[in-house]
Amino acid sequence: MTKLSASEPIGNPGKPGPGETDSTRDPLTVVRRSLVRQVARDVLVRWGAQIGIVWVGLLVVLAVLAPVLANSHPLLMKSKDGELSSPWVKHLSTADCTLLVTAVAFVIIVLTRWRASTKVWLLLAVIVVTAITSSIFVKQRFTSPDTYRDRLKSGEIEWAARAPIPYSPDDRQLDDPTARLRSPAGRHWMGTTATGADLASNMIHACRIALSIGFISTGIAVVIGVVIGGMMGYYAGVVDLLGMRLVEIFSAIPTLLLLLCFVAVFTPNLYMMMAIIGLTSWEGYAVFTRAEFLSLRQRDFVQSAIASGVPLRSVLFRHMLPNGITPVLISASFGVASAILAESTLSFLGIGLGVDEASWGKLLADARSSGGTFYWWLAVFPGVAIFLTVFAYNLIGEALRDALDPKVLKN
Amino acid sequence: MNEPLLHIDKLNVAFSTSRGQVHPVRDVSMSVYPGQTLAVVGESGCGKSVTAMSVLRLIPQPPGKYLSGRIYFQGRDLLKLPEADMRKVRGKEIAMIFQEPMTSLNPVYTIGDQIAEAVILHQNLRGKAAYDVAEEALREVGIADPGRRLREYPHQLSGGMRQRVMIAMALSCKPKLLIADEPTTALDVTIQAQILELLRKLQRETGMAIMLITHDLGVVAENADTVAVMYAGRVVEHSTVHDLFDKPQHPYTEGLFRSVPKLGANVTRLETIAGTVPNPQNFPNGCKFHPRCPRMAGDPLCVSDDPALREVQLRHWAACHHIEGFAQAPITEPQLAYKRAETISEIPAEVLQ
Amino acid sequence: MLTYLIRRILLLIPTLLGITILVFGVMAAAPGGIGGPLLNERGGQVGGANQQRIREYYEKRYGLNKPYAIQYLRWLNNISPVGFRVNEDGSLGRIAVKWPDLGESITQRRPVSDLLKDALPVTLILNLVSIPLVYVIGIVSGIIAARNRGNAADVGIGTSQLALWSIPTIWSGVLLIGFLANREYVNWFPTGGLTSVGSLDASFLPSHVDGRWQAGFLVDRVWHLILPVVCLSYGGFAFLSKLMRGSILDNLGADYVRTARAKGLNENVILYRHVFRNSLLSLITVAAAILPSLLGGSIVVETIFGLPGMGKLSVDAVSLRDRELVLGLTFVGGLIGLTSMVLRDVLYAMADPRVTYD
Repeated sequence: MTKLSASEPIGNPGKPGPGETDSTRDPLTVVRRSLVRQVARDVLVRWGAQIGIVWVGLLVVLAVLAPVLANSHPLLMKSKDGELSSPWVKHLSTADCTLLVTAVAFVIIVLTRWRASTKVWLLLAVIVVTAITSSIFVKQRFTSPDTYRDRLKSGEIEWAARAPIPYSPDDRQLDDPTARLRSPAGRHWMGTTATGADLASNMIHACRIALSIGFISTGIAVVIGVVIGGMMGYYAGVVDLLGMRLVEIFSAIPTLLLLLCFVAVFTPNLYMMMAIIGLTSWEGYAVFTRAEFLSLRQRDFVQSAIASGVPLRSVLFRHMLPNGITPVLISASFGVASAILAESTLSFLGIGLGVDEASWGKLLADARSSGGTFYWWLAVFPGVAIFLTVFAYNLIGEALRDALDPKVLKN
Repeated sequence: MNEPLLHIDKLNVAFSTSRGQVHPVRDVSMSVYPGQTLAVVGESGCGKSVTAMSVLRLIPQPPGKYLSGRIYFQGRDLLKLPEADMRKVRGKEIAMIFQEPMTSLNPVYTIGDQIAEAVILHQNLRGKAAYDVAEEALREVGIADPGRRLREYPHQLSGGMRQRVMIAMALSCKPKLLIADEPTTALDVTIQAQILELLRKLQRETGMAIMLITHDLGVVAENADTVAVMYAGRVVEHSTVHDLFDKPQHPYTEGLFRSVPKLGANVTRLETIAGTVPNPQNFPNGCKFHPRCPRMAGDPLCVSDDPALREVQLRHWAACHHIEGFAQAPITEPQLAYKRAETISEIPAEVLQ
Repeated sequence: MLTYLIRRILLLIPTLLGITILVFGVMAAAPGGIGGPLLNERGGQVGGANQQRIREYYEKRYGLNKPYAIQYLRWLNNISPVGFRVNEDGSLGRIAVKWPDLGESITQRRPVSDLLKDALPVTLILNLVSIPLVYVIGIVSGIIAARNRGNAADVGIGTSQLALWSIPTIWSGVLLIGFLANREYVNWFPTGGLTSVGSLDASFLPSHVDGRWQAGFLVDRVWHLILPVVCLSYGGFAFLSKLMRGSILDNLGADYVRTARAKGLNENVILYRHVFRNSLLSLITVAAAILPSLLGGSIVVETIFGLPGMGKLSVDAVSLRDRELVLGLTFVGGLIGLTSMVLRDVLYAMADPRVTYD
């Protein structure tokens, strides 16, 4: 396979890819797919990317398996009167169900030999269907986690298979008044939080927030940025002037200050938080897309596409976007890192997510009491988690940049 | 003119890349005599630029590496010179101009600053005096109003003007050898002619030698005294410009000539050389040209044995098994002192001596 | 250049308006309205009928009972140097040139300008100490890394800088204060604030009083600033250093460097005379982004170290939805950000002869 040079437009309709003979296949998709494969290979050989991907993969596994790994409700138990039950299953939330089903479906679908597009569509369908059905059929129950410990102690439960960390993130261990702020020891191998919950359990459940916030808010920001930046670059003139003012508005105020305003006002849940972080961090992508589109507009292959009457949508998204998306992709991977950072900072400042959501930043905030005592485990474990995740995404971003940078390509 | 000014002797250069070592210059030998123009011809990737850059030791090391060979300049081996002495050769004894006049000048300094920089470095002049030399150099390359141009930045000049500035900068210290690496490739045709004419004029006036790197046979025909044809890292043919154009020996040279349009010839389609230039990462075995060679006809010798450069006729070197009497021809040093007849009278006497 | 500058400054006005409209809109869209929770809370302490009366008092005082557009225009009129004078009862007087009035904080019952006057110097001192540090260390280490390009040290430096850049300020701040300013571990630094008790009365420089050495105001201030400045600057320095290294390496591969080598210049001259100046251009481009990000960083640092600056004021103002204060803060913050952008463009035009603003 020949390496595409930076000067060679990806979607040049007049020039099918090398070795391309089947005229019925769209040359655009062929070349694009080979580029994606090339980039993926270039990224994956870098050790930085490998470390980053391993860490993020670990987070994904932890996020999906969180209810199995850390749960106060026994996975399986037998009561004195011989009744087998699984309180764990009964207490799964909508999100738990969707994630678990999707993960199983993902593994099955990846193992099949279907076409890539079929796989993607099938997976999307599974996600949507399970999300809808589980939101209809799954009922949120509440049983105090203390009851299991009481019943086990009293012998009411004959035996119970517990999760490796037998505490839910919101299990405040009200039956044990000394449970708060204990340093790592015994069953609490990362210690306990200010509310008496198990830190390890909170850490595992918080993976979900870190992952979803990163991806979804960056996705929102990229879409907004590319649309606005693309219009600025394509139309130039007045649109550009107005767009630039909009970009200036968002880049002049420190992002954190803007985030504070939004978040404090809209008392956010997780989804609101994603939207807000996305809404306040799009300007970089807009600037990149604008610059790319401004120069692409002058290029021959775009001019010829316009001249041959290709509809505007097609000019923008089929001819210009694939050629101008590189810097956006690179900075998006750094963007995931800063979205995670933004969420944990807001939670740390106490204006982030509500009390029920486990977040690394919120755990970190409790590390110093107002009296000056320092609970090191609350600083070290959540801090390391935030740091490693941010570092992982930055490593991936750097590998992506090395693989995609036209300057590197040229050599 | 019996001593070569520059003599490259069996130069081998290698680069280490992420995909292993490549070897773009192999056993290259050639000579340039005072007042003479040697043209080095070949397609891109044949090693001609690497050879030229090697003379000034401008190959970045790493990844580049001089494996073996010698580059004699006025009797000294440049490859053995300490870096500090080499810097005194660069710009002062041997100057170089490049293909991209657009990017070869530093965008943030004025023309005057950049020319004066070389003058200050090599001629022990300071301040105003250096700028006077720079102004004079600009005037010599035919730039109007040199006093004003001195204060301008590169982006304010056209491509042809910038190449003139590059030439002025190269010639400001009166070098004995000018290496011109595709000096006209990036320019318009009319500007090309002007620049080449300027080089010829300056050569007549100063008697410097020129090593002209080009892929344009027209440029060769008009400017060169002697020619070295390079293919896949090797010199495949070396002779005077007349011998080369009259009776090319190597099939690659023949192919080059056939692919040039001729006035008056009634052809509908130009001939091309079949196949593509081999990538330095995987040169073929044996004769590097054999996959594209019309003469080969399945000869196993061409596949197994890379022919050496032999003097197949008097003062005409070539490397091809399929030249008559090739096996018997002697392997001699390709040293060729020759100056075109029509210009020889114009060379100052002390250069000819 | 002058025309460009004037045009650029004129274009700041719509941007500033945009910033205030954005923030005003966000505050207005809050459930419960501007200052909502606060008014309820403050009224709640008094209870019953009084709550209603207090609410009415505030609504009248801050015009909260008017439509949002009117409220915004009133605010705009107040901060505009040319506009209607506002009478005691809230009605509008005649047009005049006046001192911009940022209003009064709902929660602190002090003029916003007074609050800013107290907070701004703290943030400025933090940033004025950090910015030169960020740039000097960033540029120097970038050059060192570029000079050692390709060897193991370079890879190590590059990766550790990426790691440094990835360390969240909230974590480093908590760790530094937890381990280095704590009686249980090492008590080297103060836990927070800008001054120790008594140091305001001490002499400026260290002095010998009554047979004892006195640290003096300056030493005390530096001692208080070390940890916050470290927290604020390491990320920026790591970022700039990577950028500088990449920029130098890009430029070292440029054609003009080959020309300079062919001239016979030595590597140091090439690096410092030719490459350095071109590499600074890309640093100027990000300079405007560094300032807002440092200001954003001060929010975190000031909160962790309990410094009474703009950042801490913002967190307090935002969490209490103190509209006037938030507007004032974003206005000043936006003004600083925009000024740095204009400054960047001017600097760029001075450093790069190719850029002309006509």
